[in-house]
Amino acid sequence: MPGSEAVKSNKPEFWDIDQDVDDNKSFILKPPEPELVMDYEVEARNYAKAGKASTDIKLTLKKLGVDPVILRKAAIACYEAEINVVAHSKGGKIFAYIYDDRVLIKLVDDGPGIKNIDQAMLPGFSTADELAREMGFGAGLGLPNIKKNCDAMYITSSLGSNTILAFIIFFTPPES
Amino acid sequence: MDNKKKYFHSVTLSRDKCVGCTRCVRVCPTEAIRVRNQKAIIEPSKCIDCGQCIDVCPTNAITIKHDSLKDLKRYKYNLAIISASYAGQFSEDIGHEKALRALYHIGFDDVAEQAMITHITAEIIRDYIRIHPKIRPILSSSCPATVRLIQVRFPSLLTNLLHIESPMSILAKYYRDKIVKEKRIKPEEIGIFLIVPSAAQVTAVHQPEGTYKHLHDGAIAISEVYTKVMDNIKRLEKDEREIVSYANGLSWALAGQEAEEIAADDIKTLAVCGIHNVIDILSNIESHRLDQYDYIELRNCPQGCVGGSLNVENPFVAENRIRSMVKSSQKKNIDDDYFFNLYREGYFDVMPLEPRSIMELDKDFKKAISKMKKVKEIVAELPGLDCGVCGSPTCKALAEDIAKGEARLEDCIIRSRRQKKQDKG
Repeated sequence: MPGSEAVKSNKPEFWDIDQDVDDNKSFILKPPEPELVMDYEVEARNYAKAGKASTDIKLTLKKLGVDPVILRKAAIACYEAEINVVAHSKGGKIFAYIYDDRVLIKLVDDGPGIKNIDQAMLPGFSTADELAREMGFGAGLGLPNIKKNCDAMYITSSLGSNTILAFIIFFTPPES
Repeated sequence: MDNKKKYFHSVTLSRDKCVGCTRCVRVCPTEAIRVRNQKAIIEPSKCIDCGQCIDVCPTNAITIKHDSLKDLKRYKYNLAIISASYAGQFSEDIGHEKALRALYHIGFDDVAEQAMITHITAEIIRDYIRIHPKIRPILSSSCPATVRLIQVRFPSLLTNLLHIESPMSILAKYYRDKIVKEKRIKPEEIGIFLIVPSAAQVTAVHQPEGTYKHLHDGAIAISEVYTKVMDNIKRLEKDEREIVSYANGLSWALAGQEAEEIAADDIKTLAVCGIHNVIDILSNIESHRLDQYDYIELRNCPQGCVGGSLNVENPFVAENRIRSMVKSSQKKNIDDDYFFNLYREGYFDVMPLEPRSIMELDKDFKKAISKMKKVKEIVAELPGLDCGVCGSPTCKALAEDIAKGEARLEDCIIRSRRQKKQDKG
C-alpha cells in the first residue's frame, strides 16, 4: 500500500507487504478469478525481443483507460521484471491478471533461482553477465525499481529452483 | 453530440476520388482511418495531420487544405514568416537571397525567417530545461504532428512537452507588435502568413494547441509560393532590395540539428525522426526507459522539415543545399537579449496541453473490460494476417471495431473463405 515500507517478515519470501494488509498477501498467493488474463512467453537472453510483453500489457491498460500516472508505474515495473527474466533466467512466463481495481502481474521462470534475495533487493547489487551489461542493463536496480513502483510485491526463490515474482498495482491513484 | 467547435484538419479526403484501396488505413500511425462501403473515412478525433496517408494514396484522394496567396487581399499589410526548409527548394543559381526578395513581388510587404531566432530559441530551451529539473526528458514541441501524436496516443507524456511557443509563433507575436508600432497599422489589418512545409503546420495555424491568443492569419504551402516565385523570377533582375539573411539558423529544417544545437555539457539530447520511430521512442519514454536524457527532439518527417509533403524539392537535395548554406554563412543574430527577456516575462508561455485521448475502449472501466474480453475472443477467431482488406488496419483493430459495434466478423474475407472451404471439405 502507498507509504508502506518493505517489511522483512520471518518468511524471507515476502516483501513489501504491509503486515496489516494481509489481504494483499492472500490475494497474491490465491488470486481470485480475474476479469481478464493475458500470458506471454519470455525467451532467455533475447534482448531484441525483450520488452514486448510489457509493452502489450501497457497498451491493454491504456485501452482500458487506466490513469496515466498508474500506467507509467505499471509499465516500468513490468519492463524491469521482464528484463530480469531475459537477463537472469532460463526463460519463463508472464501472466497479467486484470481486475476491476488492480492488476496482478506474475512472473514464473525456469530457474536457476536467486541465491540471496536480500542481496538482490539492494539497489546496485547485480549478478548480470557481460552481455546484459553490454546491453545497458545490470545496474542492480531491477527488483528495487519494481518494489518502488508497485503497491505490494512477493518474491520466492532459492538456488536450484525457479523464481516466482508477483506484484499488485492498484488503479486508483494514491491520494496526494 | 458535444458543442465543442469542430477540430480543424488540413488533411482532407475527397470521397469521389477514393477507390477504397486501404493503403492509407495501414500506414496511419493513430489507426484513424477505416474503409467502409468502399470509401475511406478519417476519424477527426484521432487524426494528427501527419500526412502519411497522402504519400501512399494512389488516386490523390487525400490532399492538404491550406490558405492561398489570394488571401493576402484581405489585409492591408502582409508579412510572410518562412519555414527554414523554404531555403532548400531553390537551385544554387537562384539562391536564398533571391528567393527571399521574390516574396516582395508576390504580395508580401515584409518577410521574416524562422532562421532568425534559431539560436535564441535554443538558448530559451536550454534555460527551460535547467529550470525544470524534475521533468525528464523534456520533449520538443517544434513539430506539430508529434505534439498531436502525444495528445492522442501518449497523454501521460503531455507534461513532458516543452510548454513554450514555437519559433514561428514567437516571430508572429514579435512582428505584429512591431508592425503596429512602426507602421501605425491596426493589428486586424495585418495579415501574418506562415509559409510551411507540411500538413501539420497548416493545422497548427488553424487549430493551435495551448496558445493564448490568435497569432497567425493563414498558412500557405511552400509549393504554392515556389510556383509563384518561379513565375516572377525574371522581374527580380532589376530588384536590388537589400536582403538580410540569417542562413546560419536554417539548420533546424534538418532532422537532428535542434538536438545538436541545444546539447550542452549539462544537457544530454537525443533526436528522433519519422513518425513510427517517434512512436517507438515515446513508448520507451512512457516506460521511464529514457529518463537519462534531458531533451528529445521529435520530428514526424523522415529528414525533418525538408521531408514535409508541401515541399517541392527532393528532401536529400534540399538538405544538402541547406547544409552548405549554413556552412558558408556568417553568424548573424537579431536582438537575442530582447527575445530572452520576453521569454522570461512569460510572453511565450502556452497553456497546459490537453489530452485528445482515443485509446480507451469505453469511458466506463467495467464496460471497457468487457469489451476487451470480447476483443480477445474475436482476435482468436481472426487469421492474424493484418492484410487490411476488411477496412481496419490490423486484425486486432478489426476486433476492437467489432467489439465497439462498428464492424462485423463477416467483414473478414479470409475467415469467411476459410470457413467455406472447411464446410466443403
